[in-house]
Amino acid sequence: MTAYVIRRLWQMIPTIAGVILLIFFLFNWVGGDPAQVLAGKISNPEQIANIRRQLGVDQPYWYQLLVFVKQVFTFDFGRSWSTNEEVSHILLTRVGPTLTIMVPVLIIETSLAVLFAIMVAYVRGSLTDRVIMIVCTTAMSISFLVYIIVFQWLFGFVLGWFPVQGWSESFVRNLTSYAPLPIMLAVAVGLAPELRLYRSFFLDEINQDYVRTARAKGLPEKAVMMKHVLRNAMIPILTNLGILLPGVFVGSFLLEVFFSIPGLGREIITAVNRSDFPVIKAVTVYLAILTMVVNLVVDVMYKFVDPRVSFK
Amino acid sequence: MGFPAVSRGGFTPLNRYNSEVLSSFPALRPLRLLALFTAFLLVLGMPLAQAQQKVLRIAFRTAETGFDPQRVQDRYSVGICENIFEGLLTYDYLARPVKLTPLTAERVPDPEESGTRYTFRIRPGIYFADDPVFKGQKRELTANDIEYSIKRFRDPALRSPYEWLFENKLVGLDELAEQAKKSGKFDYEAKVAGLEVRDRYVISFKLKEPDYNFLYVLAMPNVVPVAREVIEAYASDTMAHPVGTGPFVLREWVRRAKIVLERNPNHRGYELDTQYADPGDEWDRRAIEALHGKRLPLLDRVEIYPIEDDQPRFLAFLNKEHDILDETPPSFINQVLPRGKLAPSLEKEGVHVFRELQPEITYDVFNVDEVVNGQPNPLGGYTPERVALRRALVMAHDRNAEIEIVRKGQAMPAQSAVPPGVVGYDPDLRSPASDADVPRAKALLDMYGYVDRDGDGWRDLPDGRPLVLQYKYNIGSDSRQLAELWVKCGAAVGIRIEALAVQFADLLNDKRVGNFQMSGSAWIADYPDAQNFLQLLYGPNTNQSNEARFRLPAFDRLYEKSLTIPDSPERNHLYREMNRLLLAYAPWRLGVHRIYNHLQYPWVKAYKKHPILYTNFKYLDLDVAAQHAGTSR
Repeated sequence: MTAYVIRRLWQMIPTIAGVILLIFFLFNWVGGDPAQVLAGKISNPEQIANIRRQLGVDQPYWYQLLVFVKQVFTFDFGRSWSTNEEVSHILLTRVGPTLTIMVPVLIIETSLAVLFAIMVAYVRGSLTDRVIMIVCTTAMSISFLVYIIVFQWLFGFVLGWFPVQGWSESFVRNLTSYAPLPIMLAVAVGLAPELRLYRSFFLDEINQDYVRTARAKGLPEKAVMMKHVLRNAMIPILTNLGILLPGVFVGSFLLEVFFSIPGLGREIITAVNRSDFPVIKAVTVYLAILTMVVNLVVDVMYKFVDPRVSFK
Repeated sequence: MGFPAVSRGGFTPLNRYNSEVLSSFPALRPLRLLALFTAFLLVLGMPLAQAQQKVLRIAFRTAETGFDPQRVQDRYSVGICENIFEGLLTYDYLARPVKLTPLTAERVPDPEESGTRYTFRIRPGIYFADDPVFKGQKRELTANDIEYSIKRFRDPALRSPYEWLFENKLVGLDELAEQAKKSGKFDYEAKVAGLEVRDRYVISFKLKEPDYNFLYVLAMPNVVPVAREVIEAYASDTMAHPVGTGPFVLREWVRRAKIVLERNPNHRGYELDTQYADPGDEWDRRAIEALHGKRLPLLDRVEIYPIEDDQPRFLAFLNKEHDILDETPPSFINQVLPRGKLAPSLEKEGVHVFRELQPEITYDVFNVDEVVNGQPNPLGGYTPERVALRRALVMAHDRNAEIEIVRKGQAMPAQSAVPPGVVGYDPDLRSPASDADVPRAKALLDMYGYVDRDGDGWRDLPDGRPLVLQYKYNIGSDSRQLAELWVKCGAAVGIRIEALAVQFADLLNDKRVGNFQMSGSAWIADYPDAQNFLQLLYGPNTNQSNEARFRLPAFDRLYEKSLTIPDSPERNHLYREMNRLLLAYAPWRLGVHRIYNHLQYPWVKAYKKHPILYTNFKYLDLDVAAQHAGTSR
């Protein structure tokens, strides 16, 4: 397994190189000139040239690329061009609020989706199954934005169960007061597609020969479902979680904007709007590395979930 | 007699021990009584003390960037700076039209040497807020702080967005800035003839040219003194360490989420000046009534929450999580002001609405360069047929539709480049040339040969080439609606207009370098004089603020002459002439002056929105009991 992990880590290097090149060329070709945004209401070409010089965007492309590579390896992306805040400080302070929302979302959503999926898969074709599938399809057809607007209005304003928006310095207050509504929203939105997907995983397993054999051996249904079916369905579920996990660290831009949560999602969009390249670079590289590491962890976990899996 | 219920119930061993010790020493019983009484008072008193605090809660519609006054440009960051720092001058809270008033200066000086010199005496005994940098000593504001802060605008390393305020302005400062560009270091020790520090409290500004609006520049919330030692101590992040002489200090800052200001305990305090108040104005009357005989500021704490989206900002106000809703989002205007009247539900809550016509203008710019991006520009030039095309476009545009649909009725049509509330505004000026008139637009186009020559249904140029115009707008913003309106209005007179969405930064650049044909713009007054608006059409400002690239010698002559004259009927006449040229040559389509609706709950006292200053925290008061009753309902 060690050799496998080392090989996978080695393979990350060309992927990161690809990510660096992609971000660099996208920013230089598609991204706007940050000097224009920073220059103020009235500025002359000389002042804009001065800003470009200070930001280093007047340097040859090869040199800018070299600086970028150095930043990736030293994990020092400097300061935000728009606010002068250290990029590392931005990442460290914004990831907390994002995780406060997204970790409970992932846990609750996955637990509920697995639980409901195994239940409806067990009663496949019944009225319950059909009703739940119709509800899921309908729920999936509605825009996330509509959910946010309606939930915020209903639970925040009309019923007054939660604050309409806000965030505090206290983790406990955030988790008990400000986070429940966005968490509830994200779970409500994410549950339907997850449930449908996991249901299909369970259905694939239920129709396997080993399930028929287990039943023929007289195993109770609970043991068949929870011990055999669930365990075998865990591999695709883990794969799906591996895809979802990096998103947990980026957050949901819409949730963060509507509920005034000072998280990473909001920061990324602000950085893009302000052509704040240091922040964009840091977040993208960090996300790329995170995605690769999570994928590796998921691949290693396959072995523990299913001993038949071998590392080659 | 003791406290049997307490001594028997649920004590921890340690408490029981204490209780036993106290019981065995009767002399200590009064101590126990005293301790319990104190605890009772604490429990009761703490929330009471908190409740008595005057805490104002408000949302900003855009996130701030920081609080280094010489480095910020967005109005929200500047709005915070207004409360932490104090300049030499400011504006009277109640006077309309606005009026300059001294803040740290002893008085508003008169211009000397034909408007090229202004001398200020700072009031002694004004101190910066406490900061560890001052090592426990009181730090008094001096003329050197003013000198240092103004030099900062020209330090190339600082990239000040307001560098233009002091460009080509003070004698010797440009040379120092040039030197800094060459050497890479700004010499703050160097003497500048235009910034003459005469003694600890006196500073005299010597200008290169007469400028009768210079005092307005000194009243801008960016032009405020900072302490050099503070800037140097926090050099790595001056945006996060604002230390000024103002009525509030920055107590807490969760970037882009929460800003907390607290009353500066060392502030000398103000009194409301009522000499310019309008007795017939209900807002003035309420402010005077609420603040009479009181020492300002009255708020203990201001909590500001940047909320970018309209719905949560609106709902937070309705939910009474905030006391003021600045700039009611246009998308909710029908809920707030149905048929122009405050909604009954809000009226029942006692909500007040302050309708404000800000000193700003929206306009569409026609690039008058004859060549754009290497291609002939049909809109460019000063020949009669080019001017006719621009004027026809002005008449083709349905401004009423813009006001009703895009602005939700919250705007009034602009009649000149100068908005109301600004010195030089002429309320009698009417510009029928800016009104929508499709038949006249068509007739004008026909007269100058813009007719459909190839039968494709669209007008062509007089020389037979196709006429296709491009309107550039900012992607992902409300300006898409404005672009669509242009396409529709162009089609109504047979002119094909293509709308092209570009990124904000690219649009700024395109408008600066003239890489566009038509585009929308807006200008908010930096200072309340017509010059701040008319400079947008001054020829030498091409590649800077003159986006239309309008270079008309007659206009430039008038503009230059206006700079040499103080506020007078003669100068207003020049402004009127400039407006006339603007309408005649049509480098712009005059848009609208937007109306902003600011809501407050009845417990907010002395509210009045200032047209130039963004915040008014130092003048506000709160009825804490009413706030508590209102929010707990």
